[in-house]
Amino acid sequence: MELNIDEALRYAGVRGEPSGALRRQAETVAAALTEAVRPRYTYRIFEVKRRGDGFYLPGADILLPGESAARMLAECDRAALLACTLGAQFDALLRTEQARDMAQALLLDACGSAWVEAGCGEAERELQARLPGVWLTDRFSPGYGDLPLALQPALCAVLDTQRRLGLCVTESLLMNPGKSVTAVIGLAARPQAARIRGCAYCALGEKCTLRKGGKHCGN
Amino acid sequence: MGIDFTSGFIILDGAMGTVLQQRGLPPGGQPELLNLTEPALLAGIYREYIQAGSQVVYANTFGANALKLKRTGHSVQEIISAALRIAKGAAGSDAQVALDVGPLGELLEPMGTLTFERAYDLFREMMEAGAAAGADLIAIETMTDLYEAKAALLAAKEATDLPVLVTMSFDESGRTFTGCTVPSMARTLEGLGADAIGLNCSLGPDLLVPLLRELCENTCLPVVAKPNAGLPDPVDGHYDMGPEEFAQALLPCVEGGVTILGGCCGTSPDYIRALVQALEGRTPAQRHYDDVSFVCTPVCPTRLDGVRVIGERINPTGKKRFQQALLENDLDYILDVAIQQEDAGADILDVNVGFPGVNEAEMLPRVVKKLQSVVSLPLQLDSSDPDALEAGLRVYNGKAAVNSVNGEAETLERVLPIVKKYGAAVVGLTLDKTGVPQTTGERVDIARRIVDAAAAHGIPRADLWIDCLTLTVSAQQEQARETLEAVRIVRHEMGLQTVLGVSNISFGLPNRPLITQTFLTQAMTVGLTLPIINPNQREMMDAVFAFRLLSCEDKECRAYVARFAGQSPAVQAAPADKGALTLDEAIIRGLKTDAGRLAKEALAAEDELALVERHLIPALDKVGEGYEAGTLFLPQLLSAAGAAQSVFEVIRASIAEKGGTPVKKGRIVMATVQGDIHDIGKNIVKTVLENYGYEVIDLGKDVPPETVLQTVQEQDIRLVGLSALMTTTLPSMEKTIQVLHTLPEPPVTFVGGAVVTPEYAKKMGADYYSKDARQSVEIARKVLG
Repeated sequence: MELNIDEALRYAGVRGEPSGALRRQAETVAAALTEAVRPRYTYRIFEVKRRGDGFYLPGADILLPGESAARMLAECDRAALLACTLGAQFDALLRTEQARDMAQALLLDACGSAWVEAGCGEAERELQARLPGVWLTDRFSPGYGDLPLALQPALCAVLDTQRRLGLCVTESLLMNPGKSVTAVIGLAARPQAARIRGCAYCALGEKCTLRKGGKHCGN
Repeated sequence: MGIDFTSGFIILDGAMGTVLQQRGLPPGGQPELLNLTEPALLAGIYREYIQAGSQVVYANTFGANALKLKRTGHSVQEIISAALRIAKGAAGSDAQVALDVGPLGELLEPMGTLTFERAYDLFREMMEAGAAAGADLIAIETMTDLYEAKAALLAAKEATDLPVLVTMSFDESGRTFTGCTVPSMARTLEGLGADAIGLNCSLGPDLLVPLLRELCENTCLPVVAKPNAGLPDPVDGHYDMGPEEFAQALLPCVEGGVTILGGCCGTSPDYIRALVQALEGRTPAQRHYDDVSFVCTPVCPTRLDGVRVIGERINPTGKKRFQQALLENDLDYILDVAIQQEDAGADILDVNVGFPGVNEAEMLPRVVKKLQSVVSLPLQLDSSDPDALEAGLRVYNGKAAVNSVNGEAETLERVLPIVKKYGAAVVGLTLDKTGVPQTTGERVDIARRIVDAAAAHGIPRADLWIDCLTLTVSAQQEQARETLEAVRIVRHEMGLQTVLGVSNISFGLPNRPLITQTFLTQAMTVGLTLPIINPNQREMMDAVFAFRLLSCEDKECRAYVARFAGQSPAVQAAPADKGALTLDEAIIRGLKTDAGRLAKEALAAEDELALVERHLIPALDKVGEGYEAGTLFLPQLLSAAGAAQSVFEVIRASIAEKGGTPVKKGRIVMATVQGDIHDIGKNIVKTVLENYGYEVIDLGKDVPPETVLQTVQEQDIRLVGLSALMTTTLPSMEKTIQVLHTLPEPPVTFVGGAVVTPEYAKKMGADYYSKDARQSVEIARKVLG
């Protein structure tokens, strides 16, 4: 599991090539972060039933409505629900750093975002390793496209995230601790297009007809 | 009949949720509602557990708090009385029934917005309902935040007379999700008066063994283990240990000293039956308690088994800048003082906020909360006001120290009960009504009196720290020897921790650091364990590091080498080109220390205002232009702001010294709107605005519209900045603006944040949309000049 420094620098508002000093500063922050905190995750796999009002997960009693879920899960008979967090310890580090040095705090915040993404990536790899012959869609989260944010509490309840990860959802649907992600990953019997991550990650690769026509499936 | 936790084994029950799911309930529901709809199902499960051997069953009340029940239309009393009626009916005289109390479901401050006081009230409502419904005991469980566990335990102790058992959840690293360590948990909860403590949930018994052994060494209380049936399979959610394997895996925990046993997720009556069988013929193991002096925060357990430095800087006495900060409620300044001491190597921070015009009983708990939100070190609450001490100890997260009591009977009677109630350590000054004794013998006599009084209040000797008092050597030269001899006796003959405020010794003498450092070394040599010093003074910390090395506390000289290895003479000498660096450049390049130093030098030639107008603001503008042009980025903008901050600190200190009015260009209220809890964006804007000389009144996060309105009215504010992160909180941003528009002369508003767009801003009636910190400065200039 590796923290992507370029991604972190982008989150920190750095465009183009950063100065060597800034990159080194970010690398130092990232090294201290990855030493101190590791992402934790939990996931469960549920059957998916297509219904008139969306995709329903009977084992979780959760309905994923809307076009985004329909597009992502079109070929899936199961889905994994995933939650990943850096935990309250990250938020504590960030509070301290904000009191000490705001520039460092900004970089820490950005590295935290990249680190929780790395945690999700790790969970996906683990999931893939457990399910040979199954193809994963890109992960997508409440708030992506028209998938409602209001799903957040139900997702966290079914994954028992407070007990397993120390992760809560506030009344205004914010996840707490701050660096947390919930996501849905569709599981299918054939290769799935990289609708979110983009063509470079897609199993179809050069064979994709959309791509040959100069288009892609992300929109 | 109360339950006796202290003799033999006690068998608790296993999981409720798992058994319910086995009987067809989907995960994620609210099992407490079953108390109203499925009493027979629940009663059956209790009876199965009791038949399997459970002597205590947990009523189905884990989440029966007002927060979690809010949307159900049922009250806490209704659910809890129903749950206990079912459980007590099933148990009859065969088992005891515990009120089960789990986490509230929202994170407490500073992680979340639920205050400690509100959490206490929510728990208290449960405790009162449980006691009224006839619970035999209270089981607080699955806690991952020591602060929340403390709120629950205080509520249980203050609202009922029932025995209380507290268990928390840890992972393999030996910490809870919030970073709490086992020793911190054990010694804090024992100090607060729990009857038994332990671990539940999180892991299987095999993985809990080392943690339970550590727990047994850190408490005298009976220890509980209620682990999961191994680990869950992420694909299907099943736990991997069968009943027999589970019971066998618990035996090493029993050998480590655990006497109260049960199961958590994944267990069922079969597991309890197997456990009872496995325990047959066994007796509780001998325990070994590590009787060490100790203070802590959740993340920072501090064993006093060597010299530990108490930082003295959070104290307004003789510090004009600190006094000004206190009177202006500028807690950020106090945080800064704390962080500097932590970075300098302090182990404990003394906290004194006593100053005329400051209500200590109100200020001390605020400062404690604020400090604990960013500093991980344990605190020593320093006040002569018992109400302030109680208020501070109540909201403190961990085991604190109190500074101080003395040999006067009234002080002892007033303060020691508070120390006992909150499980704190306490400093005893060897003086009394007659003043400071002049001889060793009198000091030791007073120390003995304090020891007796503490013992009478049930305060362990390890929690008593004696201060033999440093007097000024230029006034009473022979007193240094008396102090040192008293320290020796208290440490080596009485076996107590010793405290000394060291700096006093050199008052009025030239080259003070030499005398203070030498006295510190002498004192540590005769047995001083807790010097109260200014850790920012290099000579003092050097002496501590050298002493730790020479006394073998610093194994293999690691800490000493780490402190001094990089300091070759070439590095220590100022590089020749330092003179070439200007103040403006230092700010632009974000060089904090240099900027502060150069600002001090510049003040010799220019006044404070000129420094701001001619150097600070032009330099920041230059960085701002680079930012707008895309050649510099936000981290660099903030580095420059950080350097500007150190310049401002020099300016503020200089003005405070002269007693003049601070340089302030105008006041701005800033808030992250109600419902929003992530506020780094707002804090970035605040930092930059402050370094342009604006005074920012920071209302924090999750701020209700009414609070913004009230502040604007009371302080006659002309500019308000609001930040929102989520689409779900945009409505509260809009509401805040609407509320402000009810004023006859509404303030100017600017809004920003991840989801805010210029269109939204216009739609909700904001005067300005600010895309970033830099633009906020432009807006402030337009509005306030």
